[in-house]
Amino acid sequence: MRNWGVFLLAAVLTVCILTGCGSMGEVKESSSIVVVSPHPNGFIRPLIQEFERASGIEVKVIECGTSDAVDMIKNDEDIDVMWGGSILTVGPFSDLFYSYKTPNEKYFKDEFKSVNGAYTFFTDVPSVLIINTDMVSSKNIQGYSDLLKDEFKGRIAFANPARSSSSFEQLVNMLYAMGSGDTDRGWDYVKELITSLDGKLLNSSSMVYEGVANGKYAVGLTFEEAAVTMLKSNKHVSIVYMEEGVVSTPDGIYINKNTKNIEECQKFVDFLTDKDTQTIIAKTLGRRSVRKDVEVSGLVLPKSEIKSIAVDKESVMENKEKWIEKFGKIYEGAGDE
Amino acid sequence: MKVRAMSKEIVSFRENIKRTFIRFALLPVIFIAAVVFILFVFFWNMFMVAGNRKDNEQINEKLGAVMDNYYEMVDTAAELISENGPAITGNKIYPIVYDKTAEYGEMGNFIVLSSDGQVLFSSKDHAPSFLTGKEYLNWGVWRKLKDSEGITDAVLFENNLCIAKGVYKNGNLIRAIVYIVPGEVISSAIGDRNRYVLVTDKNGWVYASNTRGLRDDFGQIEDILYARVGYVRNANIVYYSYMTELEGRNLKIYTINDITGNLKMMLFLVAVIVLIFIAISLITVKSTEISSVRLTKDIKKMEDAFEDVQKGNLDVSLDINSSREFQTIGNDFNAMLGGLKRQIEQNKELAQNAAFFQVKQLESQFNPHFLFNTLDNIRFMAKIDEKAADKMIVSLSGLLRYSIREIREEVTVREDLDNLQFYLNLLQIRFNKRFAYSIDVSEDIMDCLIPKLLLQPLLENAVKYGFSGREKLTVSVKGYQITNQLIFICKDDGAGMDEELLNEIKENLHETKNKSSHYGLYNINRRINLMYGESAGLGIASTKGEGTLIRIVIPKHA
Repeated sequence: MRNWGVFLLAAVLTVCILTGCGSMGEVKESSSIVVVSPHPNGFIRPLIQEFERASGIEVKVIECGTSDAVDMIKNDEDIDVMWGGSILTVGPFSDLFYSYKTPNEKYFKDEFKSVNGAYTFFTDVPSVLIINTDMVSSKNIQGYSDLLKDEFKGRIAFANPARSSSSFEQLVNMLYAMGSGDTDRGWDYVKELITSLDGKLLNSSSMVYEGVANGKYAVGLTFEEAAVTMLKSNKHVSIVYMEEGVVSTPDGIYINKNTKNIEECQKFVDFLTDKDTQTIIAKTLGRRSVRKDVEVSGLVLPKSEIKSIAVDKESVMENKEKWIEKFGKIYEGAGDE
Repeated sequence: MKVRAMSKEIVSFRENIKRTFIRFALLPVIFIAAVVFILFVFFWNMFMVAGNRKDNEQINEKLGAVMDNYYEMVDTAAELISENGPAITGNKIYPIVYDKTAEYGEMGNFIVLSSDGQVLFSSKDHAPSFLTGKEYLNWGVWRKLKDSEGITDAVLFENNLCIAKGVYKNGNLIRAIVYIVPGEVISSAIGDRNRYVLVTDKNGWVYASNTRGLRDDFGQIEDILYARVGYVRNANIVYYSYMTELEGRNLKIYTINDITGNLKMMLFLVAVIVLIFIAISLITVKSTEISSVRLTKDIKKMEDAFEDVQKGNLDVSLDINSSREFQTIGNDFNAMLGGLKRQIEQNKELAQNAAFFQVKQLESQFNPHFLFNTLDNIRFMAKIDEKAADKMIVSLSGLLRYSIREIREEVTVREDLDNLQFYLNLLQIRFNKRFAYSIDVSEDIMDCLIPKLLLQPLLENAVKYGFSGREKLTVSVKGYQITNQLIFICKDDGAGMDEELLNEIKENLHETKNKSSHYGLYNINRRINLMYGESAGLGIASTKGEGTLIRIVIPKHA
């Protein structure tokens, strides 16, 4: 009797599982890649949607800050491409990446043609100030020195340059602009800015521009496209190009050297740098193209109207660690005062 | 039933009862409950899956019909443009649009564009920038249009579901037809459902849905739901998800049930049932223990009683009244034990009696008085009559020899008569003319067995009491058989006894212990009672002054 009971039980269970599942299990898999990106959500969405549509390749996007993204690749997590993050921040890790030269490169502006091929330039990103127009008038702030005014103490949104590449860009910008090309002198300004931060230091670039758009901060140090995105979302913000000088650093597309989907990654890079995509990016998403044959959007100032400063890329990359450390020390020291 | 028990020691009766209760009451119930529960899960699952799929198929059908309708509309318009040339007016297009959209109430935006993005016709008098902007001419809807080379395609751009078709002439794109589907029409095709419904494009971008959840930050359906159908777990929520595609329409329909609650409830039910069963099991085990103890208490009593008897204690009795069968056993046991005890007692008494009687025999034989008298007689006779003295010595030694010979209980009639003869000889010589005797024993009983020294005491008795105050005594001994009984009669014409004494002796015979000094008759009677039971016995008749008659009856056996 016992044996029959067990048999019956097993039979019922089996039938249950079979009918319940039916077509249970994996759906037919298409090719897919995993992309990690510090880009804003609103920027990523239309581009990924179009890429999937055009290529048929599935893309899974993980949003996170630049340094976290680099860590993920370092830790051998299953990432195919890192999309975004300034060259200055990610450049030092070029040994993590696969060397690929996209055919679109012949249309790039000269300064954006890759040197060693470990990365492909994607867009040109100037550092800017973003102000909340409900709380600040653009007359009150024209550049870095205005940030030190009393009215802005504790109301400045700035991210830790150790965690955010756009913040690191800002640090480089400050050092060059306020030191008149001599970065050592620029540190004097940095010390004063840190005091004006009044202990508030954010952890990611998104917290900077969102913080200003939400009214938590009056002014933020960010990159142009973030500010443009906020503008297009009808937030009460406006862009200030620092009168002391604006540094534009391109960001890049970096293929993980350990990727198992190299063809798909290459297609991704090709897509992001082709004329149609770069045109959409420039015209509707508020970024500056790296291509010669694409014009800027109406929301931003043409380069000719901005005081641009050039930086020595090599020198910046060499000093990156040192500068970040120095910033950190000053920041912690400021707490003791 | 397996033969396991053979190989181990026999299991106790109590254990058996307990196991029987468990196996035939508890286990079947558990088994049935388990089966019922599984059937319940099975049918719940079946209905849930069936319901989900039915919903999905219904939506699929409805949406399919809607999309087919719109596709036809676009195709018809494309044909019209194709045939009649690129210059097309609203008069020609509106009828087509009305025809196909009237049933939905909402017209939607039907747009015809030139190949460079100029709006030539729009049913809403405007077209979205992603169709008109120069930057979009190879992007989104336009890309699809140009790739498909004249095939009608559905494109989800941002949140717009567009049906697009390019009109070509000589391989060149001359017109673009784009119809933007009104969201309300799709929503009403989905309708009100009791589960989550998501309509996405082929790549998982969500177009329409009755929930804000189940999608990622970008607006695509959650990865786990995109990758799998059936039972899907996301974080701590379990879903049942089913997906169908609208062939050729670039749309997927997901119908998803959140079954976390159901699963939790089922798990809870299982837990409750398990708890109940544990409780029932404990109760059952405990109560079977109690009731089996009660039932087997009587068996234990019997067990103990038998053990006592085995150890030699016969003074036990069983008092069982729990059930009829056991009561019968108890009573029978008591009766049996009683009978056994009586038997033992009787045997003991018999043995005692035999021993006593042997002693008595010896005593009577070596009765000093008898010996003295006889020896005196012999001495006296020796001087007068040598032959008589010699005969007396022979008779005396015969008597003595008989009495010390093997001590067996029974002898043949012949043997006892021979012995009696010795005794009679001595009496005759001693009493001479004063004593006379006759023996009349039938020949056919000579070989029958009778107790040893059965007859001699009769004569002793007759002589002892018969002679008192009388000159002469005549004794006759008779023996015969009647219907399997042996009858011995010893009659004398002696003094007899008065009625009082006679009654006294008669009554005494029936006592279990001798209360008088007349031990001779009592002993004979007792002896034959013990040996032969109640059917044997001794009877007396006597008249004072006339004589006494003693009658012995014993069963005949050879």
